[in-house]
Formats: sequence, structure tokens, C-alpha cells
Amino acid sequence: MRIEARNLDKHFRSVHAVKGLSFTVEPGRVTGFLGPNGSGKSTTMRLMLGLDSGGGETLYDGKKLSSHHPVTRTIGAHLDAKFFHPKRTAYAHLRMLGAEAGISKARVHEVLKLVGLESVAKKRPGGFSLGMGQRLGLAGAILADPQVLMLDEPANGLDPQSIQWLRDFLKHYASTGKSVLVSSHLLSEMELLADDVVVIARGNLIAAESMPAFLSRATGSAVVVRSPQSEKLAELLSSQGIASTTDGARTIVIPGHSTDRIGEIAFANGIALSELSPRTASLEQVFLELTESGQEYRLGETS
Amino acid sequence: MIANLVYEWRRLWSVRATWIMTFVYLVITGLLGAGPLFLGDGGFGTQTWKGLYSTNANFLCLVMLSVVASQFFGHEYRYGTIRLTLTEFPKRERVVLAKTLLLALYVTVATILGWAVLGVVGSIAPEGSIGTEGPGLSINGGEPSELWQVLVFGFAYCVIAMSLTMITRNLALGIVLPLLLSSIIEGLIVLFAGLANGKMDWIVDALPFANGTAWLTNLPDQPNAGLIFAAWVTGTYLIGSAMFFKRDA
Repeated sequence: MRIEARNLDKHFRSVHAVKGLSFTVEPGRVTGFLGPNGSGKSTTMRLMLGLDSGGGETLYDGKKLSSHHPVTRTIGAHLDAKFFHPKRTAYAHLRMLGAEAGISKARVHEVLKLVGLESVAKKRPGGFSLGMGQRLGLAGAILADPQVLMLDEPANGLDPQSIQWLRDFLKHYASTGKSVLVSSHLLSEMELLADDVVVIARGNLIAAESMPAFLSRATGSAVVVRSPQSEKLAELLSSQGIASTTDGARTIVIPGHSTDRIGEIAFANGIALSELSPRTASLEQVFLELTESGQEYRLGETS
Repeated sequence: MIANLVYEWRRLWSVRATWIMTFVYLVITGLLGAGPLFLGDGGFGTQTWKGLYSTNANFLCLVMLSVVASQFFGHEYRYGTIRLTLTEFPKRERVVLAKTLLLALYVTVATILGWAVLGVVGSIAPEGSIGTEGPGLSINGGEPSELWQVLVFGFAYCVIAMSLTMITRNLALGIVLPLLLSSIIEGLIVLFAGLANGKMDWIVDALPFANGTAWLTNLPDQPNAGLIFAAWVTGTYLIGSAMFFKRDA
């Protein structure tokens, strides 16, 4: 299911929290939703779900969410790890959430087993850890096997094994043709997980594109070449106006160009290459570059 | 709409608080009903079955039901589950309608159970403590209420509690405000109005629970009491619903 957010806008009195955001979430892909603290990610998600009132609209396969029936077969959302009654058992919580789509008891048990909460199904979640709360929230979101999963910081509080499980699960979920929109502060994790990214800062859209396209925005992207004739290649590139720097013996780094271009030049001039590889910036580097000025709550300098 | 009702039914009965408050309601109803039968009439005259069955319209009983009524929205806001509810049911008017219908069902069942308890109490009361003649004792003063009035008043009280919770988004205020209004604040207003040489009588005439009780106990000098009380209940409900529709979840 394709999600299209159009001109989403939200004011909190004098604060313009979300400023006319438009982006799409494509089916069959995991879309990472990134932004610094206070950038408006959670507010945007609430707007998309119709929980908050504001400008713009969100269409799910061309229709508003309220036009889909049952809604829980269309979208499953997990917005907070503590959205449950502390005295209502995990099983009863999911039975309640399964009412709209007529979810069977067997499916509730199946989902509890999937997220590893089967042994505490009859326990009250008031004593659950943050990670267990996340699992319960995820269980609620996937209960009706919806076409869209919308998850706000689902990896917070999870241990490394659970994070890896979540990554595999979400990738598999998207691979079946469903849409996944997931926000996270764990950028390294998001780099492994997301196919596309939507980046916002101070309520403004910074980027909405594929992960490779986003990473290529970094000023640090470069081509690394190792060759026994590295000096000759550097001179040749220089004669064509391409700058390079030496990075150890027989290795040069050429910023701002593709491996295809450099490979063609080397091949045309008979220069043997031992290595020709792209050096892309990490998601964290690109994210920090692009959102540096858009941080709502700035940190002080460390000594 | 059926799905909304099933959701609310499961939400209501899957927390222990509902069971506890219902049990406490039945116990208090039984104790209040048993008081005049076992402890003597206290000069009020012989109790009748009708008087006994109007016991559960007393504010002490209704407070227990209003706790459950406030939880319809209060728990949702306190624990954030309102966002799950509204994601699942984006049409908010259906959410309000489902909660109201289920509240009506809950109050009806609880009231009937209360009458059953009072029936048991009456059947084991000392011989002669329940008569068939005379007006009997209304626990709220005045004439004993008809059974349908007991049911309607209980529901109306709970609607006010639920509506105040919608307005304030605070569980405790939804319980405490109707209780304070009915038991203390309105009494103080009547007291001050008595000192104002009739200049504040219009306020007294418009008080919600004073009118509600007057209607419940069939006071003959207040023929419009039922309408005024109904206006308060409807107004509070409409304001609460409008705020629920408009505000962010």
C-alpha cells in the first residue's frame, strides 16, 4: 500500500512544529523516518494517523484512513512502549485490539509467541521492562497483519539480539509487498534496515529519497584507488581537472566522483588497479551534516 | 459499530477495577438498603418495597458507578491507550457513541443487580420491617422514586461523570466534581443564596443535582426540575463530545 502525505502542517500555539511536509512511503520497502529530537517526527506520525488535527492529508492507496475497513488490516501503529493499561494482561490487551478486525484467540497467541511474550501473556504489563513494552506494542501493531506498519522508535530499550530480530522481521515484512515506516535515533541500525529515508529537521523536510541517494549527498563521498601506478594516475587525473589526495603508499582518494568514471580513465590509459572502491559517508555523517542547523534542542560543547 | 462495542466491552471488563467497583457498589447498596430495615426506621415511617428499591439512586451508590463511568475515558487518557483506540476507530463520533451505549448497558445491569441485592436484603429483613402501605423511605428524601427514575438518574449521573472526564481528561476530576457538586458545593450555594434575600434564587433554581434530586423524589413544587437536570446532563455531554472530537489525542 502506498502512503502519500501531502502538506502536513501543525502548530502548537506559537510553535510551527510541522511545516508543510509532503512525502511518500512505497510498498515493499522500509522507509526510515529520521530527525533530531523535537524535529516533529512523532507529531507527523500522529497527523498521518489522524490523531492530531492539522493541515494537509494522508492518503493510503488514494483514500483516507477512515475510508478503509477494517482499519487494523490497513495499518498497524506502535507509537509508544507504554501505551497499555498496567493492570490489563498482555493477552487481554491484544484481545481488545483485535476487536475491530475480528482477530481470533489463536492469532493473539501466535503474535505473542512471535514477539517472545508468550510466557507472560497472562501477566499484567505494569511491571514490564521498556523492551517488553516495545514488544507488546509491536505485537499490537502486527496483530491484524496490516498492509502498513508505522513504528515510532521501536528499537528503544531492546537488547542487541532483539534489535537484530526486529530488523530481520521488518525487512521480511516489507519484502512481502507491505509498507513499513519506522522512526529511529539508532542511525547505524537504520542504515542496515531502511531502503528509503525521510529526514526532517525543525518540521522541515530535508530529504525524502532512497538510502543510497541520501548517502551520496555527503561531502565526504569519494573513490579510493590502490594501484602500483598511483602517482601516474594522480597526474593523469590532475590533467583532466580531477583532484586527488595521497592516502598512504600506492593509494589515492578522489572526492566527488564515481567509481565508474575513475575506472574508465584508468582503463583507457592502461593503468592497472589493485582496488577501486567507493568510500561513502555513513548515515550518521550525512544526517549530522544535513540536520546540524535544524537541531531544536542544541547541546553544549564538551570540554 | 458492533466492533466498537466489542472493543469497549473487552476494554471495560479486562481490568480488575471494573469488577471491584461493581462489587463495592452492590455492597454499599445492600448496606444502605438494610440500614432502615435492621436498625429501625428512625422515625421515617415504615419502609416499602418501592422505597427499598430506590436505594441505589443514592449518591453514595452512584459514586461507585461514576468511577467506572469516568474510566471510560479516564483510563484511555491516563495510559495513552486513546491513541490505540483512535487509530483503530478513526471516526470519533462512533467511539463516543459506543462508550455511551456501553455505559448505558453497564448502568442498567449494575442497577438491576443492585435491585437483586436489595430484594435479598428485603427478604431476610425482620418481619414487619417492610410494609405495603404508606410512602416508605426514600434515601434521598421526599417520595421514593419509580424504578425507571432510579435507572435514568443513575445513568444521567454517570454521563455527567464521563463527560467531565472528557472535558478535563482527568479521571479523578470526573469522579470528584459530581460528588463535590452534589454533596457540598450546591449545599453551600443554597446556604449563601438564603442570605441574599432572594437575589440568588435563580441560581438555586438552576442547580443540576438539586433539580435532579427534586425530579427523582417527585417534589411537587419543582415541576421543571427534570427538564433542568436533563439540560445540564445534555449540555455537559455535548461539550465533552465536542472537545473530544476537536482536540488532539
